[in-house]
Amino acid sequence: MDKLSRYLRGPLTLVVLIVIARYFFPNKMTFLVEITTFSIYIIANDILYGYMGMVSFGQPFYLGVGAYASAIYLAHIGNNILVAIALALLMGLIAGLILGPAFIRLRGDYFALINAATCAMGLFLVEKILYPITRGDDGLWYRSRMHATPLLDLRKPDQFFWFAMIVLFVVMIWYTWLDRSAMGASFRAIKVNENKMKFLGYDTFKIRWTGYTLMCILAALAGSMYAINYGFVNPSITEPARAAEVLVATLLGGAGSVYGPFFGTFAFLGLKDLVSTFVSRWELAVGVLTIIVCFKFSGGVWGTIQTIGAKIRSRGKASAQSAT
Amino acid sequence: MLELYISAVVFGLGISGILFLVSIGISIGFGLMRIVNMEQMVYYTFGAYLTFALVSATGSFVLGLICGTAAAAVAGFIVETQLLRKVYGKELMFTMVVTFSVFLIGIGIVQYVFGLASKPVGMPFHTIVHMLGAKIPLYRLMVFVIGMLVYVFINLMLNKTIAGKAIRAGIENPDQVRGLGINLGRIFTVTFVIASGLAGFGGALNSPLVGVTPYMGFDMLLFAFITVILGGLGSIKGTLVSALILGQVISVGGTIYAPLAFVGPFMVMFIVILFKPTGLYGVRGRAFGFEE
Repeated sequence: MDKLSRYLRGPLTLVVLIVIARYFFPNKMTFLVEITTFSIYIIANDILYGYMGMVSFGQPFYLGVGAYASAIYLAHIGNNILVAIALALLMGLIAGLILGPAFIRLRGDYFALINAATCAMGLFLVEKILYPITRGDDGLWYRSRMHATPLLDLRKPDQFFWFAMIVLFVVMIWYTWLDRSAMGASFRAIKVNENKMKFLGYDTFKIRWTGYTLMCILAALAGSMYAINYGFVNPSITEPARAAEVLVATLLGGAGSVYGPFFGTFAFLGLKDLVSTFVSRWELAVGVLTIIVCFKFSGGVWGTIQTIGAKIRSRGKASAQSAT
Repeated sequence: MLELYISAVVFGLGISGILFLVSIGISIGFGLMRIVNMEQMVYYTFGAYLTFALVSATGSFVLGLICGTAAAAVAGFIVETQLLRKVYGKELMFTMVVTFSVFLIGIGIVQYVFGLASKPVGMPFHTIVHMLGAKIPLYRLMVFVIGMLVYVFINLMLNKTIAGKAIRAGIENPDQVRGLGINLGRIFTVTFVIASGLAGFGGALNSPLVGVTPYMGFDMLLFAFITVILGGLGSIKGTLVSALILGQVISVGGTIYAPLAFVGPFMVMFIVILFKPTGLYGVRGRAFGFEE
């Protein structure tokens, strides 16, 4: 029971905080849903980068896999939203299993760039080749084709918010577990020294493959949530130009930590929102802030919170000791 | 039909010239400094915008070319000495994010000064050459010739001068070069300034062909990266060969089937990376490790 509560405490606090925020700022609900979805996407990238040390320039592709899997199902085949989500997860799994063996033997910038190439080809696929199915740049519109789901009606933004909370809660529990499990440890070990891992008898290829596939599934989940929340999908979701914001958000939050992705998303989207209300050119402000974060707060937002927390705690301990 | 393909080939040569000029900086950044130079495209954009400003102010394209190159070199000097020095030796992702931030800041500055709208730049001359029945604008041929001249120049510099030899040695083994008492930091600066100047030059040459927009660097960035990866890290010759190949893929491929102009380079890179991860002229195991 104690062990279980350790996994539940953090995610529960996070979700409760978001729910409280929803009632204090009712007009910011769409923003909170956006943060929730985007942070799942960032968690996917964090498994790849923060844990395994692999940089990808093509994350929008994996988002697009999920989004288009759901969208094509809803627009042409069926009406059940839950099936659409399940289909997106399945497509993510398939993409990870098929593309994985080819990609993960590449290192560093080559891995990053082959992902960029995949992303560009994905864009080409949905924009031109699959035009009869995806309608190219016009996008797929299917809000009216979605049927109500039992318990929570995902067509209504208000209830989709609760669904997003549940998904975030489950993903965060799983992510906390991953952080503390042997699998998370072996991901980190690959980042530090892969040869040593091999020497110890681990099949690093399989470990990388697992991590890569998990990334694909999570990114597809985020894509599917985008698709259902907006009720339409167009090729801009898989644009290679959007790959950079994923990297910035991951680093902003603090790579390789459990709550880093969430706080990174919060900081990145919040800044973008805030800056674009004051000045129309967010690039300048985001660029300057990212450089400041990179050099001054290398642990990212979450890392900084942790160091401040540790300082307060140690000061509290010191004062308690001096009192006795 | 033949004329169409002949002019497509010549157009491709023009694109190759631009691609080569723009990607040298990234190639050398990979090879020599071990960083991913995403902000090279800032210099490209700066060069193009300064050309635009001077052409519309004075009407002289040559003046714009010179000033664009100079401004890009100065910008490169400032960025290298103030920021990138602190980045050398850090992990790859860190360099990517820092240089990408510089890129965003550069775009922000350009937008602040020149506004968001895309602007046309007047061609310096409109001479048309007739070749085997095809009409070919002389300017595109000139861009290609300039690219080749730059290649010859760089090769001479790398092979005949002491500084060039030090750069080549630095690509092979930086620690050894430092051990010989060569100030590698200064060599980095010199190389970087030359590379950013060339990127600015490429932007200035390209501005009459594509016009200037604040986001012109984004489109070029991916193509420049493909050029570098296809050619192999740190190899100037490889960069030239892959620029020639990609120029033809973009131009001739685009003539056959229009979307290929955008996707063709990615397809070529995809295939090359899967079968020869080091690129055409890269050496295995250099710069960043590969499995095997």
